[in-house]
Amino acid sequence: MSKSLLIISRQAPWSGPGAREALDIALAGGAFDLPIGMLFLDDGVLQLSTHQQPGNLQQKDLGANLQALPMFGVEDLYASQRSLAERGLGAADLNIAVQRLDDSALTALLDRYDQVITL
Amino acid sequence: MKFAIALFAAPHLPASRRALRFAQAALDGGHEIVRLFFYQDGVHSAASNVVSPQDELDLPREWREFVTANGLDAVVCIAAALRRGVLNAEEAQRYTRPAANLQAPWELSGLGQLHEAAQQADRLICFGGH
Amino acid sequence: MATLHILSHSPFADSRLASCLRLLGADDALLLSGDAVYALQPDTANLQALQLMPTSVALYALDEDLAARGLQAPERVRAVDYPAFVELCTRYAKVNSWL
Repeated sequence: MSKSLLIISRQAPWSGPGAREALDIALAGGAFDLPIGMLFLDDGVLQLSTHQQPGNLQQKDLGANLQALPMFGVEDLYASQRSLAERGLGAADLNIAVQRLDDSALTALLDRYDQVITL
Repeated sequence: MKFAIALFAAPHLPASRRALRFAQAALDGGHEIVRLFFYQDGVHSAASNVVSPQDELDLPREWREFVTANGLDAVVCIAAALRRGVLNAEEAQRYTRPAANLQAPWELSGLGQLHEAAQQADRLICFGGH
Repeated sequence: MATLHILSHSPFADSRLASCLRLLGADDALLLSGDAVYALQPDTANLQALQLMPTSVALYALDEDLAARGLQAPERVRAVDYPAFVELCTRYAKVNSWL
């Protein structure tokens, strides 16, 4: 049986390659049919905001990659409720369907996975 | 135990040295390293053109010697490497770039190798971060 | 499944320590390495927060990083070398490095 992997993404979308390269790990895992979960934490939740226009920075639109996650079999998507609230993001501001979890639910989430990468 | 070790930091960052010291201790402790996987800025830790001052730690050389001496599987993520200008001879030719700066024992490959290593290992440990 | 969390950034610089402490499970452990050992700087809120963690949460610090920064490990923090660091990884079910 495959080991499950949780990827915790903590970087804002336009702060460098972190957000994109975390997504790439998730998409690659999904492509290999591995059990992958993705948690958006701290500035990582900013990737989920619908109010973004990446074209101005001449950077790739991560939104497309985010939308692709379920297509690659990565359907377990989570976001920290605290991180969202800290940044003024409510359910209506999000561009993909994620389960919003409080801190104790996040502790339980981490516990369920065999491995974790936080970047 | 079997370890998969992923490095995300360039050689001038303490995380790169910490990863190497950990890897050495793992082998000294009788453990196995199924793969080293260099991702994000970790690709620079495998680059052949880093020149360290004589009186300073030459980490790329230490990594190279460690991998070679122990016959380890050392993979550099190709997408991360290309983006950062770390190319082996084949890629330098493919993209008509003036020089190659990645050599054996390092191999360029995809993220699938990270996942495979994570599946094979008892423990996945990552070093680095900006 | 207890997790060994590894921090390597200064707690004064960003939110990794704070976020990690909120996520920590009762049987998890924390290893401070690199600039994260500054969390042990005396008379600071960070040190206090660590002291207040339940005793079931084991705390470790990498000895070379303590020594380099002239820091002492308080009583509940065990200083470890690299062989002990490796052994810790085998003792916990998984390792989560806060990159």
